[in-house]
Amino acid sequence: MAAQAHSAKQSASLLELRNIQKWFGGVHALRGIDLTLQPGEAYHLLGENGCGKSTVIKIMSGAHAPTSGEIVLDGETFSSLTPIQSLAAGIETVYQDLSLLPNLTVAENVALSEQLVNAGGRLALLFDRKRLKETAERALAAAGLPTDRAFLNTIVSDLPLASRQLVAIARAIATRAKLVIMDEPTTSLTRREVDNLIRVVERLRSENVAVLFVTHKLDECYRIGGYAVVFRDGQCVAQGPIETYSKKELAELMTGRSIDAQRYRTGKPSDAELLKVDRLVAEGVREMSFSLKKGEILGITGLADSGRNELAMALAGVAPATGGVVTLDGKTVSMRSPAEAIARGIGYVPEDRLAEGLFLDKSIFENEIALIVSRLANSLGVVDREEGRKIAARLSEEMRLNTKDLNLPVGALSGGNQQRVLIGRWLSIAPKLLVLHGPTVGVDVGSKDTIYRVIQALAEAGMGLVIVSDDLPELLQNADRILVMNNGRVVAEMDAGRATEDELYKAMLTTATESAQ
Amino acid sequence: MSASRTEDLHGAAAPARAPFSLGELVRRRPESITFALLVAICVIVAIANPAFLQPSTLIDIGRASVVMGLFALGVFVILAAGGIDVSFTAIAAFAMYSMTVLVQSYLPGLPIVVIILMATLGGALLGIINGLLVHHLKVPSLIVTIGTQYLFRGFLLSFIGTVWIMSLPPQMGAFGRMPLVQFESANGALITLPFYFLVLPVAAFVTWWILNRTLMGRAIFAVGGNADIASRLGYSLRTVHVFLFGYAGALAGLAGIIHVCANRQANPFDLVGTEISVIAAVVLGGARITGGTGTVLGTLLGVLLIVVLNSVLVLVGIPSTWQRLVVGSFILLAAAFFVTRQRKK
Repeated sequence: MAAQAHSAKQSASLLELRNIQKWFGGVHALRGIDLTLQPGEAYHLLGENGCGKSTVIKIMSGAHAPTSGEIVLDGETFSSLTPIQSLAAGIETVYQDLSLLPNLTVAENVALSEQLVNAGGRLALLFDRKRLKETAERALAAAGLPTDRAFLNTIVSDLPLASRQLVAIARAIATRAKLVIMDEPTTSLTRREVDNLIRVVERLRSENVAVLFVTHKLDECYRIGGYAVVFRDGQCVAQGPIETYSKKELAELMTGRSIDAQRYRTGKPSDAELLKVDRLVAEGVREMSFSLKKGEILGITGLADSGRNELAMALAGVAPATGGVVTLDGKTVSMRSPAEAIARGIGYVPEDRLAEGLFLDKSIFENEIALIVSRLANSLGVVDREEGRKIAARLSEEMRLNTKDLNLPVGALSGGNQQRVLIGRWLSIAPKLLVLHGPTVGVDVGSKDTIYRVIQALAEAGMGLVIVSDDLPELLQNADRILVMNNGRVVAEMDAGRATEDELYKAMLTTATESAQ
Repeated sequence: MSASRTEDLHGAAAPARAPFSLGELVRRRPESITFALLVAICVIVAIANPAFLQPSTLIDIGRASVVMGLFALGVFVILAAGGIDVSFTAIAAFAMYSMTVLVQSYLPGLPIVVIILMATLGGALLGIINGLLVHHLKVPSLIVTIGTQYLFRGFLLSFIGTVWIMSLPPQMGAFGRMPLVQFESANGALITLPFYFLVLPVAAFVTWWILNRTLMGRAIFAVGGNADIASRLGYSLRTVHVFLFGYAGALAGLAGIIHVCANRQANPFDLVGTEISVIAAVVLGGARITGGTGTVLGTLLGVLLIVVLNSVLVLVGIPSTWQRLVVGSFILLAAAFFVTRQRKK
């Protein structure tokens, strides 16, 4: 059906890129991109970090001008677009940071832009409050959000992240967009929220709006359907209906090498117990008990409000537990702060690596040695930079960083490489237990592969690992056992070698009262 | 409960629909705390010393609120956009003293309306200098306005004069005495609510209207929420900065000329040094120092709170030197209260 629609509208393409080249200084970011977008179609722009996906989006939205090439918009040819031209042509972008104003209401966030554009950017005008409300109601309804007064007047910073995502989408469609570009829209969404988003996309397509996704989540691409557009090194290496490609083929197209999507876990845990958690209580966690052996990988999953995040933070001392007993290596330990957790041998790779884990403007070298600075320092407190450099170089190699320049600021690296730096830092102190919180959120296929291999190697070396994640294939591929949490408790425990995604998902929706019966 | 939460996205999307609670009210409308404090103080003072309820005391409070209230409205507008201004007292001193000198020495026949307009415009011009500097230097407004406070004041004292003018041009003095309401109190003294008191409610209404009814008002809050995003969405930061500081400057100029008329003397060393208490009033009114929040009503309540504290402590026998202790504790208490409320979220 998608193909039919495609051919029927062949004559009137929405947007066409012809031989687009883009240089950033000496970097050839786009090497001749040809891309045609049809109305009402869904496109999935796939590729590893740094392949040129975001550059293409920015050229479409007018944020960047191409070095050469043509953009055909509504039959008119441009050498570059301004943001206003792009918006006026109905190209709306939902950026990864959502670009919402946290202190304004939902209605204002959704519908104020329309009035600003109608006013031509002039501010010395009244705004039409009736129109604001009407536009907001229409757009929110289209995005599957409530349209009552209480919701319209909710301040955006009071909304859960998932609703903010939908509010950002509502804003994109409030202005009667023809093309909605979504940059990793589902990264922070649970499965149910993704379902809702997919319904929104279907509605948009039925209204002849084209949707362009940038994403790493292939499962969702298959569910949405439409066209796959695969980028590698600034070139478009494949284009076609997504159902004609297997996951493995897509991964190979993206990375240019063959990726094994099979189970990574091959080792076996030892018999010695490493961690015992007895009736742990924390905010959102109710009397949780479990144990972990040396060399074992334990997966923990659940919906966003299941308590999985709070459990990870309690183990790491970030948000300390308020009750229960934790025994590590035979000794009762308490983690009242991250520093205490580190001293006991517990490492933590946070979910939000940008905010919580990395010093973005500092070099790879400084990030890698952040935990061992005191060990590298002599009695006068002077840090032995030579020794640090050697250690950082070794860690970077183990983590297979794609650069040898350790002076590069971490902020300049791709998401996958940043995550490798963060995990590498923990290797420097060889913790007994490593808690990984969403280790591959926003990470491309190639980096995922590296990270999984490192995780397995760490378990092989006897470290205990806890992976808290909502990426179910990730847990199935890497863990020995998976605990499913709901409402602060464990509702199911499964053998990762035998469990399926469906079983896990069903368990995630099981409430604690149901499981107690 | 958790079941319904996970089952229903819409429920999760609208936590604001929780049943009415005091905490929620305080979080959404922090000025209710200011109001409660104000009422509590008034009740306590009225019980301790019924003289507080005399019309003369209330009128004193009203009179004392005008200049601080005008300053506070300007500070609030800038705070709403995520900036801060400490130069407004220097702008006010500059406008009032230059205008007085100008009228006294060169244009003795200038009507009072023109004098007020010129002072307001002059204040706006100085404010626009602030706005342009903040925008083009890309320096935090605190630093810029510390700089311009010294500049404006230095210019005033070096080039315009340092002499304390004790006798004002007659039309200015007359404006300061012009009554709005006048009546005789029990002891036979004449009590006057001056005409200039009206300026404050009018300015407050205009400020409220700009902030809540115009695109500029929404743009000011948008910039206060996140300037980068606001600019990505098409709000012109330059226009917002120029307007905002120009408007605050205009209010400062107006406040300055009213200050002179009300006190019937022009002291070029006046006003500067009171910035912190004005900013304190605005923050006590519920505006966050980090920007993007607050209301005109809250700002006025904050001003009233500070003015009442300044004028009533004496009535209940607390030495005036204690005012600072009390105001300081209130600011800390209110701030702690607002912050814990926000964290609860």
